[in-house]
Amino acid sequence: MITFSRSMLVGGEFLDETTVRFHGILEDHIYAMEIQMDVRIPDGVIAAIEGSMKRYTNPVCPRAVDVLQDAVGVSLREEGWASRIYREIGRKGCQHFAEILIECGRCMDLARMAHDLTPTIAGDPAASTTELANAWLQEHPEVQGSCMAQPTRGSGGAN
Amino acid sequence: MTLEFMRNKVVEVEPIDDRGLSVHWRLKDSMLEAGILIKVRVPDLEIVEAEARVDRSPHEQCASAPELVKRIVGVRVSQGLRKIVRGLIGGASGCSELTEGVLECCTAVILHYTVPQIRIGERLTEEQLLEARRALLESNPRMAGSCIAFAPDSPLMQEPGL
Repeated sequence: MITFSRSMLVGGEFLDETTVRFHGILEDHIYAMEIQMDVRIPDGVIAAIEGSMKRYTNPVCPRAVDVLQDAVGVSLREEGWASRIYREIGRKGCQHFAEILIECGRCMDLARMAHDLTPTIAGDPAASTTELANAWLQEHPEVQGSCMAQPTRGSGGAN
Repeated sequence: MTLEFMRNKVVEVEPIDDRGLSVHWRLKDSMLEAGILIKVRVPDLEIVEAEARVDRSPHEQCASAPELVKRIVGVRVSQGLRKIVRGLIGGASGCSELTEGVLECCTAVILHYTVPQIRIGERLTEEQLLEARRALLESNPRMAGSCIAFAPDSPLMQEPGL
């Protein structure tokens, strides 16, 4: 029998070509909470955030909702942004809010890729996603170097 | 407005017997689909088996990512875990999704042990809860300052002895 289970859901909504709104939901046997976070695409800055707690373990936990505002101004492009969120939103607020926020932030570039590739794939479903993704990576140096699938341009990995 | 990207992650812990836990992790989103299965020995929480798969990805390199996960065998779910796992399978030549997946599996193992404690706490009186909190902080001093509930100015920490 499963004794513990956690589900995390992230949705990316493009309000316009410069802003993506993330909806993040966490539900597990102990906790249930969600956030909505607007991110500026050009510089990765968190422009707005709100959240709510539905299930938590003690009456002080909901105070962490206000601490979410400390994420405004953090850029998802800055080195160590996730560690900063763990410290400033997690330790000073709620670790689980930090986990949702970081998950949303980590989806930023995949969401951008999906957004940019959708019109092409819709028009030609047989188009190679791999070729389209490689071409997209070539055009977005800010994403390169983050893992084995997104090597720095010129390193001979994806090219 | 409609969503243009959607991600769904699920992690589940299941006791195998009184000496082990099985942890399944799955990720499915608009671009990726992957899974991890780890087995953890009880009570020392050493990872004794680890396997992964990448079923869908826009990047060809991801096909070799599952092999990385085997490196975590022998690691214990304990302090310093994040740094160890990121060093073994993360970084520019690793896989960020499987790294986070492994860490989420390990978090789930910890929370598997937390659930029964919280259920016990739900049936305690205020006085018993206070005593339980004192005992928790004594056995886990790192909990102090770990979140807003255990911050120095939290009402929960103003009680005598905390």
